[in-house]
Amino acid sequence: MRNNPQQRINAKAVSYWRWSAGIKSGFLLLISAGYHMAQQHWHWPAWISFVLLGLTLAYAIYAIILKPDITWRTWRYNVSEQEIDLLHGVFIRTRTLIPMVRVQHVDTEQGPLLRRFGLSSVSISTAAGSHEIPALADEVAALLRDQISVLARVVDEDV
Amino acid sequence: MYNPQRVHPLAILEFTLRKIYSLGQALLPLLIIAIAQQEIRKWLLPATPILLVLFVAYGILYWLRYVFYISGQELRVEYGVLVRKKRYIPFERIQTVQISAGILQRLFGLVKVQVETAGGGRKAEFVLAALPRDRAAELQKILQTGETHLEAREDEKEYIEYKLSTRSLLLLASTSNGIGVVLSAFFVIISQLNDFFPNLDVWEKVGSYAGHLATGRISLIILAIFLLFLLAWLLSLLGTIIQFGGFQLRRTGDRIIIKRGLFEQQQVSIPIKRIQAIKVVEGLLRQPWGMVSVQVVSISNTGTKGEGNVLFPLLPKAELPAFLGQVAPEFSMPWELQGLPARARRRYLLANIIPALIIAIFCAFYWPWGYIAILLPVLGAALGNKQYNDAGYQMVDNKLLLRSRSLGRVTMIIPRRRIQSLHVSQNPFQARNDLSNLRVAIASSNTPTTVRLKGMDIQKSRGIMNCFANTH
Repeated sequence: MRNNPQQRINAKAVSYWRWSAGIKSGFLLLISAGYHMAQQHWHWPAWISFVLLGLTLAYAIYAIILKPDITWRTWRYNVSEQEIDLLHGVFIRTRTLIPMVRVQHVDTEQGPLLRRFGLSSVSISTAAGSHEIPALADEVAALLRDQISVLARVVDEDV
Repeated sequence: MYNPQRVHPLAILEFTLRKIYSLGQALLPLLIIAIAQQEIRKWLLPATPILLVLFVAYGILYWLRYVFYISGQELRVEYGVLVRKKRYIPFERIQTVQISAGILQRLFGLVKVQVETAGGGRKAEFVLAALPRDRAAELQKILQTGETHLEAREDEKEYIEYKLSTRSLLLLASTSNGIGVVLSAFFVIISQLNDFFPNLDVWEKVGSYAGHLATGRISLIILAIFLLFLLAWLLSLLGTIIQFGGFQLRRTGDRIIIKRGLFEQQQVSIPIKRIQAIKVVEGLLRQPWGMVSVQVVSISNTGTKGEGNVLFPLLPKAELPAFLGQVAPEFSMPWELQGLPARARRRYLLANIIPALIIAIFCAFYWPWGYIAILLPVLGAALGNKQYNDAGYQMVDNKLLLRSRSLGRVTMIIPRRRIQSLHVSQNPFQARNDLSNLRVAIASSNTPTTVRLKGMDIQKSRGIMNCFANTH
């Protein structure tokens, strides 16, 4: 039987996800606050305020406190000469196998927040959609991209 | 052998009409306003023939300037009256060359040639409006084989041919689920009427008419609805017959050639290399007749969705193995399926019963006869059980077969080399029962296609994954 992949993504991913979720929660909080003000002004139903605030809090607890750590602990990947092997998912564990000969192109991506943490994500495209390895250290991501791109160069005639 | 040349003069008609249509479409609001004016209407009668002459002159000019030729390994077209355009298409970029014939073209023994590349949207990159049939066939062969010198090849002489029998056509037409499409078209037309003539208040009229009837007799409404359905069904019947009449399929060399259409004959040629998977669909209405429809998932964008991917519209199920063996041996495999483990049945049942139960509860509360909806969960259970029984898989000589049912039963045959990525997933409940979902992604022209099978034994899923991983 095949072994599960062993490589982990960068540990800094946890703080990156926390920050990213924190910013999103901030926006959601703004929306709640906006509704609250409108509610005071035009006497809209008050219970919606509480529901919005509750949802925002629930999201913040899940996305800032719980999810980043679990996601980091459950993400595994492995890149061999033959294939790319991914294992991830908190509740639904998904194992993905992409044969190297099916890889069409590979990208590294880095948003402004990722850059602050010195992280990049690697996305691997096949003729049927793309797959992402989130949050690797810049050097690791660049190395992986170059490695996959060389391995994938083996020309395969049937698409 | 292919020097610059023009298409058949019949194309002048098409060019002229196309120009009038496109201009008319753009200026329609202006035109309506103009016609509404008394003074302008006076000028309409003398202006019409002059305009017509101008348009025809434009059509002739366009035809004169419309020249195509083959140079090296490229198809080149030069066209345009005011803005002159040149378009070069290398042979290897050409995906399909489609030959069709409308009624007008048929009168003159001509055909229309459409050349498509992978890029772009629905429209063909390049249309030759009118060519003699033999010339079109010649051009098609050159473009697809890339050979400028044509010799009749030996293997093209021998081919296998399948024709759609009249009985199958009638069955196909009467069970086609175009009913829904036609019904919605009805509503679209009515709502369009509303947009064009805002004063008409179509919906209000329909509503008040219906209300009038309702105060009369309820049976009349039922009759009206029934008639509407009947009309829709007849229209879809007619549509299918026109679309699939005279259907025939032929395997020559490394491609499958399909001809179809009662009035407008269409010819599509599918290279075997572009077929990613074969999909066998047994619709609810067709399964009792023992009929299946065979489709392809391919990466060329011929035809609109749903009709371009039909390999054979309706085939007796017993003939399927022979059909695949002859027409597409690359996809033929024994149809002995492995079913799912018994512990997967519960999930199939629950997935159908629970939504049905929720709907039933709501219906029972809010509708006068709602308690009849209690039948829904029973139906759901029956469907879930059927889904479980039908689900299965097989992996033999590098081909993966997956079968599942939502309403109709769908069987996919995917060669291992066509699988772009393979996924095995488990939710916590499945992890406890050693079950898993298997998902396979394959390339297709529009959106990526995924095929999934829920509730597989985890060891079997891993087995398929191992098979897939070793030796690509």
